Amino acid sequence: MSPSVPSDLGYVPPDGGWGWAVVFGASISVGFAYTFPKAFTIYFKELQAVYSISYSQIAWITSIMCATTYGGGPISSILVNRYGSRPVVIFGGLLCGIGMVSAAFCTSILQLYICVGFITGFGLALNLQPSVIIIGKYFLKRRPIANGLAMAGSPVMLCTLAPLNQFLFDNFGWRGSFLILGAILLNCCVAGALFRPIGPATASVKTQMAEEGKGALKEEVTEDAMEMSSPTNVPMENKTEEEGGKDCCEKINQYLDFSLFKHRGFLIYLIGNVLMFLGFFAPIVFLAPYAKHIGIDEYSAAFLLSILAIVDMIARPTTGIIANSKWVRPRIQYFFSFSIAFNGTCHLLCPLASGYTGLVVYSIFFGLAFGMVCAMLFETLMDLVGAARFTSAVGLVTIAECCTILLGPPIGGTLIDTFGDYKYMFIKCGAVMVLAGTFLFIMNYYNYRMLAKEEKERKDHAGVGTRQGEMQYSSKTFN
Amino acid sequence: MPAAFSGNRLRLLLCLSLSFSLSGGSPADPTMTTQDVNKSQANFLTKMQAGLNESSPEHMMATQTVNQQTQGSPSDHLTLGHNISRPGVSGTSVEKNITLDRGTRIELSCRLDNKYSHLKSLQVTWKRGNETVRHINKTETSWSIQLRISDNSKLGSYSCTVKGEEEISAIFHLQVPKIEGKEKPIVSYEGDTAVMICKSFGYTPIAWTWYMTNGSEQIAINDTLLANKYVIHRISANVTHMKILKLTKEDNGVYWCEAAFELGKSKGKLKLKVLSFMVPLKPFLAIVAEVVILVTIIFLYEMYSKKKEKSAEAEKEFDQIEQLKSEESNGLENSSARHRKI
Repeated sequence: MSPSVPSDLGYVPPDGGWGWAVVFGASISVGFAYTFPKAFTIYFKELQAVYSISYSQIAWITSIMCATTYGGGPISSILVNRYGSRPVVIFGGLLCGIGMVSAAFCTSILQLYICVGFITGFGLALNLQPSVIIIGKYFLKRRPIANGLAMAGSPVMLCTLAPLNQFLFDNFGWRGSFLILGAILLNCCVAGALFRPIGPATASVKTQMAEEGKGALKEEVTEDAMEMSSPTNVPMENKTEEEGGKDCCEKINQYLDFSLFKHRGFLIYLIGNVLMFLGFFAPIVFLAPYAKHIGIDEYSAAFLLSILAIVDMIARPTTGIIANSKWVRPRIQYFFSFSIAFNGTCHLLCPLASGYTGLVVYSIFFGLAFGMVCAMLFETLMDLVGAARFTSAVGLVTIAECCTILLGPPIGGTLIDTFGDYKYMFIKCGAVMVLAGTFLFIMNYYNYRMLAKEEKERKDHAGVGTRQGEMQYSSKTFN
Repeated sequence: MPAAFSGNRLRLLLCLSLSFSLSGGSPADPTMTTQDVNKSQANFLTKMQAGLNESSPEHMMATQTVNQQTQGSPSDHLTLGHNISRPGVSGTSVEKNITLDRGTRIELSCRLDNKYSHLKSLQVTWKRGNETVRHINKTETSWSIQLRISDNSKLGSYSCTVKGEEEISAIFHLQVPKIEGKEKPIVSYEGDTAVMICKSFGYTPIAWTWYMTNGSEQIAINDTLLANKYVIHRISANVTHMKILKLTKEDNGVYWCEAAFELGKSKGKLKLKVLSFMVPLKPFLAIVAEVVILVTIIFLYEMYSKKKEKSAEAEKEFDQIEQLKSEESNGLENSSARHRKI
């Protein structure tokens, strides 16, 4: 899709102005959603001791949190379709805060599962999806940059949350830390407040007046404006008011667009991404243990992750800028598949890295590849399905990815335990990602060709149509 | 340090390799290697080898010892090198820590590296403190002693001193296993439960005892007497837990966990800090206030900018209506003109 093709939103996104404040808010939300489970692991040891449980039982907390964050995607999408991004994010922030504050008073591990796992996880889900959705509403021409900047919130937040968590734990113990973390998560409400609603309702008033001022024929002007704006505007709220009796399927479709499953681009994205996530997160989880396994001390192993985060932080906005350039944007799907395959190749080469310098080089390339993929993760989906249907698309994609995201690290762990060697885990992750990248590359090549064909057919039909329309028009005036 | 070099002075490089071996009951052969030891002792040995790689602050002590002894001698600079036992580290360290938890026989030997086997007239003494150990087993290149460690009094630092043209010594520290406490204080709250854990790495203690500090005294904690306050649990052979229930401010302070081994006792230190709930509440309220203020500012700014937009649009609308009216009149004329033309 070239940037010159108009959006299907029914209005022209501002591509700047208040949009940058929205990007800032989105980066905070996205940052919390992705990094909170990771930063939470600092409390594991203490909680294990207090409740006398094993590591796998305590690790369920973050698994439940991740599962709820991704699984809550469709619910998030439905709510955004109904109410818009802002109320959903504010509500999500409140939920996170309530979840963590109640966790501070928990007396059993089950209560922790509910408070930290479900409630906070669901709150984070209500933060993640709407933040990504609203970027599509505010940006079109500069959307890749906006996406890259918003996703850059994740490594920035990781670099701040991890030491902050350690500081809180040392000074306030785990109960006090949960209380204060609850307050910190309330900052998601601030991010939500920045998400000023925008849509064709606010924009169409302006277009109407502009058309009135243009002045073709007097009566037809206002009538034409009304007729043109209603079919192209696809706000779901208006539809409920206009059409009364609809059957069940249409009603569900209105909240969550299941017709996306017939969309070729969406299916390609879904299959490719679901495959990719099998090998996406496992290397990060096992990087530090692998480093310790080959004899590197704990602090240097932790430093590897810091290198990864810093390179990631720089890579995401840079990828956004590159993806926005006029050479890459029309072929952004190829760039995405290339970055996935690049990521996979890094993992395949990791077992060859010997010693600390080898691992540092691996961390740098891994950070680069990871940032590239993450920055374009949602941008490519928006590119394929369009900003209007993106709301439902993101919900459906996250719940499908949920399974593989959760399966990835345990499968890697099983491989490590069975073979006693980390290299098979890296080979598995690398192979899966190279496969996913190649699949996406081939299928997107096919998709681009089909899109070009359909575009050509549409133009031919439109050409015929306009000629017919012209004849009608002249006949009208002659009356 | 008066390190003056002259061209003719000899710089002697002595390479000492320290080794030791364990024997079961038979008299030790000085050349016996670890392969001759039976399995359990071999495991013990590998654990020791692992333990020997730890870097100790006694590096400094070693050089100090060496310096003290060489102060009187006429030589200048001595460099000591290690080979086998500490790969890659050359220089000052000539100490080794050996951890023992139960009675055993041990052989300590000081061996000269093959490079220096040409050196003659070397006198070796083994000492423990001021006491000299007799019965040194001598070979071409090594001097060793056999010890039977049966109780705490036999533990300590054994040193072998090689006197040739210079004097060099190496020290073996025989000690009980160390218990690690926690450096950072454990933070807990009034009315809550605190859990303290002590672990012994690799060695199984016979018994664990917990002490609390009252002023400068250490008082043993009797958990059967105060069962509703203290609960002591031995989770596994090497780990002990102590739970302190219903915490109050008085429970603040230092606690010790003591592991009793056959050859002695070892302590670990833990600190407990009990806070009231007001302490985290203040930052919590501060952050909540910050959130509320920011959200209010954002909403107020939005209302303000909407008002500005509305008034600007009202003006625009007015202008456009005027324009439309004028164009309408023009348009009417045009369409009527078209009609007339057709």
